Amino acid sequence: MGSSVRNWLWLLLVLALGGLFYWGMKRNPKELPSVLAKERRPAPDFTLPLLPPYREEWGEALRLSDYLGKKPIVLNFWASWCYPACYEEAPVLEATWRRYKDQVLFVGINTQDKEGEALRFIQQFGLTFPQVFDPRGRVGVDYGMYGVPETFLIDGEGRVRVRHAGAIDQASLEGYLKEVLP
Amino acid sequence: MRAWALWFLFFLGAWAQGGLTSPPPDLSPEVFAIARELRCPVCQGESAAESNSGVAVEMRRLIAEMLGEGKTKDEIKAFFVERYGEWILYEPPKRGVTLWVWLLPVLGLILLGLGLFAYFRPKKPLPPELLEEAERRLKEPQ
Repeated sequence: MGSSVRNWLWLLLVLALGGLFYWGMKRNPKELPSVLAKERRPAPDFTLPLLPPYREEWGEALRLSDYLGKKPIVLNFWASWCYPACYEEAPVLEATWRRYKDQVLFVGINTQDKEGEALRFIQQFGLTFPQVFDPRGRVGVDYGMYGVPETFLIDGEGRVRVRHAGAIDQASLEGYLKEVLP
Repeated sequence: MRAWALWFLFFLGAWAQGGLTSPPPDLSPEVFAIARELRCPVCQGESAAESNSGVAVEMRRLIAEMLGEGKTKDEIKAFFVERYGEWILYEPPKRGVTLWVWLLPVLGLILLGLGLFAYFRPKKPLPPELLEEAERRLKEPQ
């Protein structure tokens, strides 16, 4: 092997390693894949007790499969200790629910929280969409949730289409709704 | 006396360490052995065995329940991979793209060994005609 060929090979190796390093550094470690949304898997079912203010309208417990496949569902995982993200998105969710309640069901899942603090949060933002209580956060594991807040969009066929990690803003939420609405 | 105090401090430290690493009595060590191979979703570089975040605690409870149902370690790991993807595994699986993560260090070591061998290999003696030439030049009057 001639020495110039060898020099070129070394240069190529260094460039390749440099490229790999650059690619690795550009990746966002917080951008985590959602298996459910990527494969459009059927939304995992759950039955959870509703928080007291919603029992009159929705019953003692909410079973997701009773609503799957009828209309799209926005599933929002939150907790009262999740400050400020959950506090930022709560008014957005409530306003959007009021606007779309005929076409889309919103369900809030209070995760790893205490009931009293959850109720205070609900009162603070006047949340009118059904809220279920999951103090152990088991449903979160079924959805492959990393941390609150996280929002999942389930389409009219009952499949998970979108996973949004972090506080959701009006524009993103409306964009996702356009994707799942007929 | 001083030596005794040193020994005492040494064992005190060892004792404290032991207390930290041994699992709380309510969950079996097997639960922690499995949790150690799973990532805690909300942490940075912590396994589900070490973290005390809500998710990690719930993961350990799930593992304990599944062990109680007679599930094997592989079935339990598959349960979490099903929901979180292979990201949840602390060690990348030894197949597909992530096989390279396991192979490259070994390849690198082999290459390094070859390079070192080539560098330190006993040098071949110089060809006799070259030696003669050198000697002849040395003898030449300047």
